[in-house]
Amino acid sequence: MNEMMQVEMTVNGRVRSFDVAVNHTLLEVLRDDIGLTGTKECCVVGECGACTVLIDGVPMNSCLMLAVEADGADVLTVEGLATDGHLDRLQQAFLEQGAAQCGFCIPGQLMSAHALLQRNPHPTIDDINEALAGNLCRCAGYQQISAAIMSSAEGAGR
Amino acid sequence: MKVDNIGAPAQRLGGIDRVTGHQRYVADLPIADTLHAKLVALDCAHARILSIDTSVAEKVPGVVFVMTADDLPTPMPRFGPQYQDRPVIAEGTTNYHGEPVAAVVAETKDAAEEAATLVKVEFEELPAIFTVEAALDPAAELIQDPSIRRPGPFTETNILTEYHFGWGDVDAMDADMVVEHTYAWPMQTHFAIEPHGYIAAPDGDGIIVWSSIQHPYQLQKTVATVLGMPLSKVRVIAPDPGGGFGGKQHPKLEPLVAFMAMRAGRPVRLILSLEEAFQGVRRAGTEVKVRMGLKSDGTLVFQDYVNRFLIGAYGDTGDRISAKASFLSAGPYRTPAVRIVSQAILSHTTPTHPYRGFGIPQVTWARESCLDEAAIALGIDRLEIRLHNLVRYGEEHVPGDTPADGDWAQTVRKAAEEIHWGTPLPPGQGRGIAIGVKSGPTTGLSYATVRFLADASVMVFSGTSDMGQGARTIFAQIAAEELGVSLDRVAVVMGDTAVVPYDQQTSASRSSVLMGNAVLDACRDIQRKIRAMAARLHDVEEAEITVDRGVVHLPDAELPIVDVLKAGLGRMGGEVVGNGEARKEAFPDHPLGGTALFFEFNCTACDVAVDPETGEVTILRHVTVGDVGLALNPVQVTGQDEGAAIMGIGHALMEHLILDDKGRTRNLGAIDYRIPTSLDLPGELHSFSIENADGPGPYGIKGISEGSLLCTAPAVAGAVRDATGAVVRRLPLSPENVWRAMKEKT
Amino acid sequence: MQSFGYRRPGTIDEALALLQEHGDAARVLAGGTDLVIELRNRWRRPKIVIDLKRIEELRPPIREVEGRLVFTALAVMSEIVADERVQLHFPALAEAADVVGSIQIRNRATLAGNICNGSPAADTAPPLLVYGAEVVIAAKNGTRRVAVDDFIIGPGKVDLQPTELVTSIEIPISATPIAAAYTRMTRRRGTDLASITLCCGVDATGTTRLAYGSVGPRALLVIDNSGVLADPAASDEAKAPVLASMFSAASPSPKSMRAGPEYRVAMLPVLGARALRTAIERQTRVP
Repeated sequence: MNEMMQVEMTVNGRVRSFDVAVNHTLLEVLRDDIGLTGTKECCVVGECGACTVLIDGVPMNSCLMLAVEADGADVLTVEGLATDGHLDRLQQAFLEQGAAQCGFCIPGQLMSAHALLQRNPHPTIDDINEALAGNLCRCAGYQQISAAIMSSAEGAGR
Repeated sequence: MKVDNIGAPAQRLGGIDRVTGHQRYVADLPIADTLHAKLVALDCAHARILSIDTSVAEKVPGVVFVMTADDLPTPMPRFGPQYQDRPVIAEGTTNYHGEPVAAVVAETKDAAEEAATLVKVEFEELPAIFTVEAALDPAAELIQDPSIRRPGPFTETNILTEYHFGWGDVDAMDADMVVEHTYAWPMQTHFAIEPHGYIAAPDGDGIIVWSSIQHPYQLQKTVATVLGMPLSKVRVIAPDPGGGFGGKQHPKLEPLVAFMAMRAGRPVRLILSLEEAFQGVRRAGTEVKVRMGLKSDGTLVFQDYVNRFLIGAYGDTGDRISAKASFLSAGPYRTPAVRIVSQAILSHTTPTHPYRGFGIPQVTWARESCLDEAAIALGIDRLEIRLHNLVRYGEEHVPGDTPADGDWAQTVRKAAEEIHWGTPLPPGQGRGIAIGVKSGPTTGLSYATVRFLADASVMVFSGTSDMGQGARTIFAQIAAEELGVSLDRVAVVMGDTAVVPYDQQTSASRSSVLMGNAVLDACRDIQRKIRAMAARLHDVEEAEITVDRGVVHLPDAELPIVDVLKAGLGRMGGEVVGNGEARKEAFPDHPLGGTALFFEFNCTACDVAVDPETGEVTILRHVTVGDVGLALNPVQVTGQDEGAAIMGIGHALMEHLILDDKGRTRNLGAIDYRIPTSLDLPGELHSFSIENADGPGPYGIKGISEGSLLCTAPAVAGAVRDATGAVVRRLPLSPENVWRAMKEKT
Repeated sequence: MQSFGYRRPGTIDEALALLQEHGDAARVLAGGTDLVIELRNRWRRPKIVIDLKRIEELRPPIREVEGRLVFTALAVMSEIVADERVQLHFPALAEAADVVGSIQIRNRATLAGNICNGSPAADTAPPLLVYGAEVVIAAKNGTRRVAVDDFIIGPGKVDLQPTELVTSIEIPISATPIAAAYTRMTRRRGTDLASITLCCGVDATGTTRLAYGSVGPRALLVIDNSGVLADPAASDEAKAPVLASMFSAASPSPKSMRAGPEYRVAMLPVLGARALRTAIERQTRVP
């Protein structure tokens, strides 16, 4: 039987208090317990980045983190990017640049990009390629993704 | 309203869900009361199963049952797209590393995983055959028992099929020079970021199967056959796959999941790990021996091929891939005599599945590399030798097949111009250029239904899968254009066999052309009905009215279709429904059963630098030019084209499945199977389209999604050779392989 | 995931008590980037996982104490990369930390974890060897310090008892600083496990310290006191034989799928010469 523990975390701005199995990863809890399936599972070894979420603003692989470790943390997933049904600038730019093809990696790409823009509002292409090197895209829309981040960053300066 | 959707960079339908996390892939579907399955496999490539003890596993709390071959009908149901040789679950022996021998069904994922480690399988490991050489050894064990083979001359061998194609008499040709080499292409894996996922649930006296599959209608047929149900009782729901690349074309574990759901009487889900996905599907490794005879001026006089495709333990599509790719071995070059022998060779490895390019990259690697060797030996420029032999528009490159359906020289010249061919380069850099050509579908059948609703919005129903190529957007653009509505008023419904009409498959870059034509045909059906409405409303003869692209042309006026629709439907409302169909008929006498519907033609050129000490290759500039007919959606064309180019760069530089000395795959998963990341892109990557609106699809489009990976490897290898003099004939062009080739050269 | 218990002690003493109680049946969680994979794959079946992240004594994770830069068990790679003291005194460590996995990994993976796993390919091992780092190990009956060179034993093996806890890794900020550079060999430019890891450092006395990994059961440290290697004026020809001799202990596995032994052996002097050049450039920049 799984050992349970009560945790409290802010998920996409909403404070939640609930029980989690201590042996479940944050990815499993987000997807299976909370029903936030935007965060994706692929390699589960920290190589593909499909499960990237922000923990207190810092991008991490939720597949390599126990949910109990996020107790007390602020968790941001792709579902938390849009506000009141309005896409944020980055999401809009991904749409406009055709950055999402099959779309499976896109939540992770968006979270890494969001974190990058938070710490570096005007990244170069090299900064972007470095910051997103942990997010594989097999459709290989890398140039569309970086173009979207660039255009979104330019927008930020307007 | 006059709209202009053709050639517009319309935003992707489904794009918003993809950027908000709301797109539901199979693993995201909330289906109540679902049980979880976990596979049990042996850590060896080939084994005799002596016994399976499930008793301990079944005691794990939450376990419902453990399924083995004993729980399935006798004889074991077998299935497959070409050969019905693949068992629902391993019976008696396992024939590739990872072939499931049992599956645990439990209330939770944790319980299923735990119990899977407790299924005790007694087995005897057998020597595995996993190279061409070992498989062709006359003393080799037969991979497949002749009882599951179709009778034929090769039934008692490990050759699944052998084909002989060609024309002219190669042996009678008089060449000034003959070049002969063998080129190897390793096994590779698709590595879709979404691992394959399956759910099945009993549904009344039928079943629903959810799968991340490219061909839902083929899955429907497979499940109906193994379960003995009519098609009408099998509903397949195929949410948009999270990447396919060919790897999700045909059914694999869905029959097993269907049997488990029927036994449980509840939904059962099986979401593969990435490692299991690697074990479930792969690309054929090949060895291609080429002999090319040329005149001293570079004119090709013959091409002679022996193509060996190492396929897996079951036929899957290995036969078709080897045949269709080999048929075009000689490429787009005018050659008086061509001889091609093609073999699909069984082995104790993961079944070979379609993979973007469908075998063409492997044969193209050999042909284009050998042509470079010939050019260099003859002292002829590598671009010139290609242009010299390239067929002209309308000229046959394969006698009896579709002739060249584009101005291919225009494509090649554009690539040469964009790579600045012929201009000087600094030392340590080199350029390469190569040409790829692939047949589109040789047969095909697509139906579409379009409903023009009373408020002048539109629903398109199509059995195509949108796995990232953007088929949904293309169909919406066509419907919007023809019915004169804005794109945001069009919805495209896909992926549910209970709702959408039949489509044969989503493959071979066919959908924009075949399904596009079916959607166009359905819209034309609506236009005819609108014309009848207009005739009635305006009291004119139908013959005096034409309808096209959103406009009704009356003898003395033009009206938007939408106005006629609204007036025609009147106060009762309702809708106008159009049905469309597109066929590519078979030609039984053709060696492939049909001619090419179109060709994907690509020229790739690149400029590389090679580290002289380490062998590391840096692509400084990479140019890909495709003859697309017409870019119906240029953003999507660029996305697909650049994506294929980068995937091709991965195949060229780093990707290969590594087997150990017992035939087990060593680099399962993301840590040791390397694919390109954002840091592995060329310094510059440019994609160009040649648009002469001369394709068979709507408005002159051709299929485009594979072109730019057909000839990436020979272009890069040619550039490496140009930079260093080192010749690599065995991919990948890893630093180590390039270093070794540089060393051998000196 | 397999089931296990979870404890998050608030003090080092509490953590040690848990280790004392559970011994082999406990696994320590710092960054978790390797541990969670190990747990998911059931390579180990611990009864409890001890999460160190609530131990206040281990924060701040990077601090300067009595002429040493201290990296506690909670110091993660991205903090090390960004730390100005590391960039000033130990740039080769920053370079190594900066190539451990992706940013997501570097935000979680700890320096202590990288060393405690005993991976022959650990990126941070060569710079720690070159800079003469020590591992500080706490146990119920006291604390001991071990040079990293002695701490690392072989693949997956380090000098650590089940009841002990690595609380920090420390590098002396020397009066005669070592100018060092880190480099590696990979299969692609994006994140990768290295088929060679290598760090070369020189100091004002003419000593060259060279450490390399992924070409044998553990990362090795070799020291040259001849002065030839560190001499900015010496020719590449003069350095080559000395450099070559420093790699004599390399024994790359023929079974590796990342690169063959012949290639790895051939690349060691290539990477060695490159890192040496960078190290000397850095040395000559020191006033």
